[in-house]
Amino acid sequence: MALQPKKHEMPVQEAKIRARNFDEVACGYSAEIAVAEAERCLNCKNRPCVEGCPVNISIPDFITKVKEKDFEGAYKVVSESSSLPAVCGRVCPQETQCESKCALGIKFEPVGIGRLERFVADWHNANFKGEPVLPKPNGRKVAVIGSGPSGLTCAGDLAKKGYKVTVFEALHLAGGVLVYGIPEFRLPKSIVEKEVETLKKYGVDVETNVVIGKTLTVDELFEDGYEAVFVGSGAGLPRFMGIAGEGLKGVYSANEFLTRANLMKAYKASSQTPIMHAKNVAVVGGGNVAMDAARTALRLGADNVYIVYRRSMAELPARKEEVEHAQEEGIKFEILRNPVEIIGYNNPDDRRDPKNGFVTGIKLIKCELGEPDEKGRRRPVEVAGSEYVLDVDCVIMAIGTSPNPLIKNTTAGLEVNRHGGIIVEEITGKTSKEGVYAGGDAVTGAATVILAMGAGKTAAKAIDEYLSKKGK
Amino acid sequence: MTKDKMCFVSVEFEDDPNVKGYTYWYLCAFKDVKLGDKVRAPLGRHNREQVGTVRKIVFADEYNAPYPVQYIKNIRGLAEEKTMFEIVKKRKLNTTVTMMDIYAPLVAKKAQAGQFIILRVDDEGERIPLTVAGYDRAAGTVKIIFQIVGGTTMLLDTKNEGDRLCDFVGPLGCATKTEGLKKVCIVGGGVGCAIALPVAQKLHEQGCEVHSIIGFRNKDLLILEDEFKACSEKLTIMTDDGSYGKQGVVTAPLKDAIESGEKFDEIITIGPLIMMKFVVATAKPYGVPVTVSMNPIMIDGTGMCGGCRLTVGGQTKFACVDGPDFNGYEVDFDEAMARSSAYAEFEKRERDKHCNLLKEIK
Repeated sequence: MALQPKKHEMPVQEAKIRARNFDEVACGYSAEIAVAEAERCLNCKNRPCVEGCPVNISIPDFITKVKEKDFEGAYKVVSESSSLPAVCGRVCPQETQCESKCALGIKFEPVGIGRLERFVADWHNANFKGEPVLPKPNGRKVAVIGSGPSGLTCAGDLAKKGYKVTVFEALHLAGGVLVYGIPEFRLPKSIVEKEVETLKKYGVDVETNVVIGKTLTVDELFEDGYEAVFVGSGAGLPRFMGIAGEGLKGVYSANEFLTRANLMKAYKASSQTPIMHAKNVAVVGGGNVAMDAARTALRLGADNVYIVYRRSMAELPARKEEVEHAQEEGIKFEILRNPVEIIGYNNPDDRRDPKNGFVTGIKLIKCELGEPDEKGRRRPVEVAGSEYVLDVDCVIMAIGTSPNPLIKNTTAGLEVNRHGGIIVEEITGKTSKEGVYAGGDAVTGAATVILAMGAGKTAAKAIDEYLSKKGK
Repeated sequence: MTKDKMCFVSVEFEDDPNVKGYTYWYLCAFKDVKLGDKVRAPLGRHNREQVGTVRKIVFADEYNAPYPVQYIKNIRGLAEEKTMFEIVKKRKLNTTVTMMDIYAPLVAKKAQAGQFIILRVDDEGERIPLTVAGYDRAAGTVKIIFQIVGGTTMLLDTKNEGDRLCDFVGPLGCATKTEGLKKVCIVGGGVGCAIALPVAQKLHEQGCEVHSIIGFRNKDLLILEDEFKACSEKLTIMTDDGSYGKQGVVTAPLKDAIESGEKFDEIITIGPLIMMKFVVATAKPYGVPVTVSMNPIMIDGTGMCGGCRLTVGGQTKFACVDGPDFNGYEVDFDEAMARSSAYAEFEKRERDKHCNLLKEIK
């Protein structure tokens, strides 16, 4: 059989329709397409894809099972390495990870590993009726702070080894960024819920409404009998640019905008959560969060949504598929532009004019790409005198976050770097404080779901080794 | 050995101000009772059932009983476990302001004056921040006082004792700094007085001289007068229309006090933004330090969303982790006032919607 040079297309909702609803964009492979795609895998000897995966899923093995139509078997292979396969299959940047290493990719398009992973996880969730095999409890307690991707992964791995794990979540719902940040149309909340339920079946307790650093401290957790603590508290305070007008009404951080829309369900018409249904929206930033915010604004009824990014399309840090989806949906890209000022309405004759203080525009300056910086990305250079105003009534800042100070402020002996990120030993996730491990955005600053999961996995292994060595 | 002896327990009813600090002996039928257990027992001439805490346990026979056996009353049983976030007590302070004690032992254990909590009434509801208006660490309850301003506070007000809230998280934010203060003027406005009260009480307890100036629109909206009286050396009540206390705004008596030579270490003010702005302006010529408690729009309250940002001293600060208290001289009040009205339209719409809903039910 001749090898198909391209990946099987992912069935998606049509761009025009999906731009106005919050249903999932990508509909997933059918069993037939999945098997056909699996057959593209060369099953090569070197298995470079496994190295490309931060959690080292045995990719060729699960793909072989898909080929054999043993989907449950394929799921078992994936779940040995990943606690959240249905999530990863949807949000991982596969093109820079496993798929970038695929041998097939040298000449043709790589195997659609992410799409197959998603298919396998969805198949399991829809068809598997049995109960998971529970490990023998070893009677030792571990606390996990934060129920985002790193925390859930760490909790899942430890629970499977027999530890009694309690996950503490500050918000009222488990999932962290998977529920407050990533929108419904990219990662349906029911999928996160299902993954959390699976962990609970393994005996993981999830305590919502507990803010570690406030309600309880890390030291109190040790006093309560937890023998190790994993800190996966995630990214923290949103960054702003420090330009004039950021205090105007209609300026959001992406975190606030997405939290209102996702966690607080403002995407539903019946929601009690207020959110601006702006007509013209500028989103500043070029990462996945910026794409999510832009596409959410569109679905909330905006006519024009602009991504304002200071470099060119080639440097956009967002996942390729998200950028393509955003373009198809009609998001406009104002690239090589940097905001200078946000402009608000001001009626000098009437201080009580209700329109006062609301955003009316954003002043942008054109940029050119200059010399590469230390990371090798070309630095944007502003073109003097090229300012112009883009008329918008809402500005969303998606330019990253700095780590949350709550835990470091209340935990003696926990060292952080000058950005506020917790300092860890990279290969173990071990912090400067005995028995405390950390991973995810709390360590690295804003990064991806899969990197956080990788860190959670590393820490789980290290915690297990630490406690085994320590003895009871 | 304890088998044939009787179990006597000494109980304190700390919730009842009349007998707080005293203990009473009871006979307890279940011998596995532990120190600190909450028990139900009859109290007083009318044997009204109250909940108290076991402070002492003694096993003795009839002859060595700590209280004559023929007169002793019996413990009726363990107090029922309260469910998380249950409304234990509710009291209307005036037509638009309500006080509630919420069962949240972890929050009660840590809460301090000046901190706040975030609650959700039901699973579809929004998260709203409310400042801690008091706490009872023994009973595990946190006191909140809220004014009905929008849909959520209106819904919250429909809940009664025994109902439970969906979520209640805290204590968030930093506690008000009170160390080293010897003489302080507390300036509270409207429902802000509810937040100012625990600060005044804490200062009073640590031996600080507290002068309180509290202002309201009119007599009907006055709250917590007795409580303020109890913890203030001097209490001045102002109403906009003169229907109670003196007529005028809170800054007038503040200015008088400073001019008459009162040397305050600090002025702590909590209330509407416009009031706090003018308190700062009043104190400025005299150089008295002013701490203001900001209550901006907030969602998560843990330093994630950035909705509560303020400009303080030219920098972006987050009320939830950096505050809610800030140096009054540095806060950009005009920006804060503008931002606080971002959803005024929405709130009005929600409130009207709820009013109509309630009408339909009736």
